[in-house]
Amino acid sequence: MEEVTESKVVLYDPTLRDGHHAVRHQLDADQLRAYATAADQAGVPVVEVGHGNGLGASSHQLGQAKLSDDEMLTVVRESLTRSRMGVFLAPGWGTGADLAGAVARGADVVRIAAHCSQADVAERHLGEARAAGVEAQAVLLMSHMIGPAELAEQCALLISYGAQAVGIMDSAGHYLPTDVTTRITAVTRAVGEVPVIFHGHNNLGLAMANSLAAVTAGATVIDGCARGFGAGAGNAQLEVLAAVLQRTGHPTGIDLHQLLAAADIAEARLMSAPPTIDSISLVSGLAGVFSGFKLPVLEAARRGGVDPVDVLFELGRRQVVAGQEDQIPAVVRQLQRT
Amino acid sequence: MKEPAARLKAAVLGTGKIGMDLAERLGKSGVLECALIVGRAETSIGLHRAAELGLATMAGGITAFVEAQERFDVVFDASNAAVHTAHWDALAATGAVLVDLTPSSTGTRVVPTVNGDRAVRSSRHFNMISCGGQTAIPVLHAIAATCTPAYVEVVATAATASTGRGTRLNIDEYIATTQAAVRELTGAPRVKALLNLSPAQPEPPFRVQVTMLAPDARPGPVRAAVHAAADRVRAFAPGYAVTSCSVTGERIDVALEVTAHSSHIPDYAGNLDIINAAAVHTAERAAAALAREGATPWKR
Repeated sequence: MEEVTESKVVLYDPTLRDGHHAVRHQLDADQLRAYATAADQAGVPVVEVGHGNGLGASSHQLGQAKLSDDEMLTVVRESLTRSRMGVFLAPGWGTGADLAGAVARGADVVRIAAHCSQADVAERHLGEARAAGVEAQAVLLMSHMIGPAELAEQCALLISYGAQAVGIMDSAGHYLPTDVTTRITAVTRAVGEVPVIFHGHNNLGLAMANSLAAVTAGATVIDGCARGFGAGAGNAQLEVLAAVLQRTGHPTGIDLHQLLAAADIAEARLMSAPPTIDSISLVSGLAGVFSGFKLPVLEAARRGGVDPVDVLFELGRRQVVAGQEDQIPAVVRQLQRT
Repeated sequence: MKEPAARLKAAVLGTGKIGMDLAERLGKSGVLECALIVGRAETSIGLHRAAELGLATMAGGITAFVEAQERFDVVFDASNAAVHTAHWDALAATGAVLVDLTPSSTGTRVVPTVNGDRAVRSSRHFNMISCGGQTAIPVLHAIAATCTPAYVEVVATAATASTGRGTRLNIDEYIATTQAAVRELTGAPRVKALLNLSPAQPEPPFRVQVTMLAPDARPGPVRAAVHAAADRVRAFAPGYAVTSCSVTGERIDVALEVTAHSSHIPDYAGNLDIINAAAVHTAERAAAALAREGATPWKR
């Protein structure tokens, strides 16, 4: 990243990727274009786009997207003049061929994701991203499942594989600020000059506090979505992050007025209502279950005539991770038997 | 089948999780014996453990193995896909029955209960596809005989601890090979494979969820086909189970679980169990077929 001063924070915007979880991956080309154009005008550094689970993930298991990866990337690329385009790839869902396709369609930043303790599954695709000449970032999903020392070790591994920024996602919205402080502190100590990423969810109403804790502990790439548009109770809210970081002396380089306009467009065009901490999202955060399970759990529980709260606690007990959506009907069947 | 007086000589390439379990499994085979296990580095933990178990070992990997020119009836390749492809010709030239456990794309793809009989008559070089393929294809093939599949999805979830470095580096090959094999053996025009590695503690069993879309799906025949197919797999992999099977309109969902029934690998590592059970089963049948023809590759 250019001109990094001590206090500068880069806001990374996965509205058009993580937000897809809130609308069953059904954003159309006009919606993508409207938001990407507005975010670009506001000077958002990176606009990430794709299926909620990233490249190659459109499926019955993870939800079928309205548009193909190619269609999404083409529309967003055309809408961006200065923002960089980001994509998300989790090995096992997406492949090297998907990565190459995204680079060919103009992706500037490729984020390779692995579940908390599995940095080594990202090794190959980080190498491929570097070889393709794009910025290669790496993130650990469901990071609450392991402790600070182990996360730090995993982040150091990711750097050894070529990652140019590394960090942790609070995929379940489970963290308290002190959890974030200890983890980001451990990670920043382990990675030296490499930028550290934090991605927060709001299931416990702490996305903003957690993001601020991450910045205080040394993270310099913070994820936020317009109006919090994202899985479950939503993500750290991008425009609020920009305002709060400005007040706390961390310039983001974003035009706040234009960002507010982009957030208004997001609210008007992308969602029926901004995310809220409803009962199911709160339980999901408490139980440590991936926020993207919210809609599939609600639907399976309704069809099966069981309480979605019970479903979530059992999924938490089973320590399921994103991608294991088949465990939702399995838990519903178990509850029906008891 | 009459058991040969002397067991046929098998070599195992690779000292990872798959290779070590194969070696131990061959110790129980009435047909094959593990005469050599080959690792890359002299110092590898796997080779050390193999030696401790009393097995003959060789370092230097597949290159050293090919150069040594020792004759084997069966060679199991549990190294990795790229290495396998590079040495395919050299291995084939030895005349041994070749069983490839890497997700490469060489050899006849075989799922014992689906095309095992045909494959062992027509080929000496077998590709065991993948753990997800060995679990999903028996039921998918059986269902496909009752309807016309338009789309198939195979989602496998393995415990992190049951996967080694080879698996993690070869995830793309796992996906490509699994998809190609499902297409080939079910006739479905569109196929998607996904793989999850679970960090949960304690480790969950190996699970495979298969979804098929077929406009002419009929619940009764589908269920009967699924359960009959599972019975056939259990003949050589007793931990194979159907945990649910549902047909809703054109959508068929089957949940499968494999637990390992081996004293040497943990119960949750059904992914290792299923592919190794299928590999040994195939090698035994291929060796028996060759013996029947009086064409055992290397008579001693």
